[in-house]
Amino acid sequence: MKFTPRALSGNVNVSSSHPLAELAWLIGGLTTLLIAVYLALWLASELLAPRVSMAVEVWAGQQLLKQTRHTVNPALQQRLKALLATLPSDSSLHRYDFSVSVMENREINALALPGGHIVVFSGLLQEIRSENELAMVLGHEMGHYARRDHLRGLGRGLGATLLMATLFGQDSRAAGIASRIFSGLEMRYSQKQETAADAFGLQLLNARYGHTGGASDFFSRLADRSGGRFSYLLASHPHPQDRIDSLQRQVAAAGYRVAETVPLQGVDLLNERAPSGPPA
Amino acid sequence: MEHFAANFDIILFLLLLAVGYTCGSLAERRHYASINQRENQQLQFQAMTVEPCLKPGQVKESFLVQGSAVISIDYFKRLLAILRNIFGGRVKAYESLIDRARREATLRLKEQALAQGADMVVNLRLETSTIGNSANRKKQVGSVEAIAYGTAITLHKR
Repeated sequence: MKFTPRALSGNVNVSSSHPLAELAWLIGGLTTLLIAVYLALWLASELLAPRVSMAVEVWAGQQLLKQTRHTVNPALQQRLKALLATLPSDSSLHRYDFSVSVMENREINALALPGGHIVVFSGLLQEIRSENELAMVLGHEMGHYARRDHLRGLGRGLGATLLMATLFGQDSRAAGIASRIFSGLEMRYSQKQETAADAFGLQLLNARYGHTGGASDFFSRLADRSGGRFSYLLASHPHPQDRIDSLQRQVAAAGYRVAETVPLQGVDLLNERAPSGPPA
Repeated sequence: MEHFAANFDIILFLLLLAVGYTCGSLAERRHYASINQRENQQLQFQAMTVEPCLKPGQVKESFLVQGSAVISIDYFKRLLAILRNIFGGRVKAYESLIDRARREATLRLKEQALAQGADMVVNLRLETSTIGNSANRKKQVGSVEAIAYGTAITLHKR
């Protein structure tokens, strides 16, 4: 028997498709999947957020509160009470048993935890220059409670984290990148919520002091210091200048009065131990 | 600069991906060119998986020959495989790795047999394994080893 060798033509063991084309297909499929799941989660939290019972919310708030280091601040508590008193008696916010505490953190931010626990960062308090500004900040957080934003965000955040962990495992790099893209989407939505909460805060401020002086002072100080708009593309809150503009439009539309503010150094509140009433 | 620092891991990821793709496909193209060229050179040399019926006295000597090759996956292929793990289907990215490893191992076996003056290789066997205990772990880049072994024989020339 004669051996007649033949060279291979082509390769049956290797698929001929281009790797970049495959990458495009896979990423496209993954994106579609993620968007579908995200939309489902979003819808679910929109539907469920208004239905969550108070007991569940209080429980969730206590779980979260346990994980944060904070100190209850009587001075802030007192000012919150004064704000609450201006709410109409049929307001849904009366269901909450509000408490305010301060957390040591240089960031200028405040959190609305489930169950009515407002946590103000010490970094924010140090920026406060008047009673009116403080009332605006507290009113803003109460705006979140009125719309139950805190539950919506919690539900979506939880869902997205679970999804990432299931898809890629707990701490893979792919999960990190995907969740950053996700939180970008998330924040876009929350910028809308922040604007609505600003509007609520403004109403409350007007009810408390009879005018809306000082509503945007706090943001003007932030706007001077914050960098370009680019850094706010993915931030959780709108750019301070946008907030000022929208507040001023609302003030003009509602015909609110603007008058002198009551000075207050936020730093003093940090050191204050005994409760002291805000000036009337 | 601040953004660069904040997104350092994303930039690193994309960089590794680009390096993995360019270097990986360049290496693969070169390897296939070399494989094809050497296979054509050794076309006349027989290597078979069966043990042929040879008459007594036909075989002068027989000895073991082996060839092995280790091929590493690259960052890009790994990403493709991870994404494939979600949807299922053929892991096309890894097909060429196994193919290259097997063919390279067979080529090296033939080269060894030729160097020792063998006339043919019989009972050729191929085995594949992953290398290093990190090969199957996440965040690690693994590699595949193929080993080819067989019996080289020299024949009495008539």
